[in-house]
Amino acid sequence: MEPPELERFEAVVLPHLSAAYRLARYLTQNDSDADDVVQEAFLRALKYFGGFRGEGAGQSRAWLLAIVRNMAHTWRRRLHIGSSTTEFDETVHSEAIADEDPGSALSRSDLRETLAEVLDRLPPEFREVIVLREIEGLSYKEISEVADVPVGTVMSRLSRARKRLQEALSASDGER
Amino acid sequence: MTHPDVQAQVDAYLDGELAAMEAAELETHLAGCVSCGRFRDDRLALRAAIAAQIPRAQAPEALRQRVRAALRQASAPSRARRPAAPMVWRGLALAASLAVVAVGSWRLAAEHTASEILTDEVLASHVRSLMPGHLSDVVSSDQHTVKPWFNGKLDFSPPVHDFAGRGYPLLGGRLDYLNGRPVAALVYGRRQHLINVFLWPAAGRSGGEAPLLRQGYHLLHWTTPEYAYWVASDLGLSELTDFARLLQLGDSAASASER
Repeated sequence: MEPPELERFEAVVLPHLSAAYRLARYLTQNDSDADDVVQEAFLRALKYFGGFRGEGAGQSRAWLLAIVRNMAHTWRRRLHIGSSTTEFDETVHSEAIADEDPGSALSRSDLRETLAEVLDRLPPEFREVIVLREIEGLSYKEISEVADVPVGTVMSRLSRARKRLQEALSASDGER
Repeated sequence: MTHPDVQAQVDAYLDGELAAMEAAELETHLAGCVSCGRFRDDRLALRAAIAAQIPRAQAPEALRQRVRAALRQASAPSRARRPAAPMVWRGLALAASLAVVAVGSWRLAAEHTASEILTDEVLASHVRSLMPGHLSDVVSSDQHTVKPWFNGKLDFSPPVHDFAGRGYPLLGGRLDYLNGRPVAALVYGRRQHLINVFLWPAAGRSGGEAPLLRQGYHLLHWTTPEYAYWVASDLGLSELTDFARLLQLGDSAASASER
């Protein structure tokens, strides 16, 4: 790759370093792993940058985040680290979240779980939509591209994740 | 109790993902419904709490330098061999193939033209219409009910035909907003499948475009001398094409009889 190409890459993609770092951290839940994921994602992005045809900061950010997300999920599968050892199953995990009953909500409130802790305990597929929407401010369409799922799935995952976060928030409000 | 279908809309509304007309509809409902209004307030509180409590770390300077160094090394003309990847990355050769998939599908998504944007709008309208309570503003299988319903709501009177006799009953109609203008949306059924037909006046040459498949939905698009048509459904392509042919015949018959 010619140096001017690297300069263009640095100008277009490097500004999204912090967004990449945040997504990697929320998905790997480990600072040094996040650093590795980010570095490999940038190298991968550089390699395929010639084929990237997007315009504007939004598109280059979503493009990079899609690569980061793939890297992080591959990393998780490889190391068998994650919220579960089984492959993600939309139905099972969705129901597991939806089914957490008021009883467990009570025990949670004893623990004074913070929102950040609740977010960390969500399955990664739910965690990533919250991070992409609430922290990075991506549109549903951009999230669907990054997470490689239909917009409808983005909406249902957001809704379930928010329900869980909302419960935690109500529990902590109730204590005050 | 809140209305479950409204809740889904509230999230999309607060995320800025609702079209102006749907947002206006929702606001009307929220103004009059205490429980849904409370649901919205809770969501706003959650949004604020997330903003306040979830850390938004910036990448450390050390990482920035490390990434830049790696990029320079990878793009050095001398192609000096990169040092062996850390252990964890050995297994990641596979990740390359995944990334290629991501890049490949991105390339399509990134080459957005005006027609791509319209395609996305049509798809989004179709998907939204499938949410509970959003399919039809006027529910009727009678074309003589549906057609006049559009009077005063649109600046054109869309051709409306019922194809129940051919297995595609007219279910109703609604207003929608596409391509920067209000459009007519006609809803047809085929067994358990729903078909949305979007049309608006367009001065253009007659012609059709290749069918598109997006997120599991088929999209057909063609223009007649008077109208631009978009059809969206999860129906199989061959049946949907049959249906499109009926529409085209119906439209040209209507045009002929009006002249």
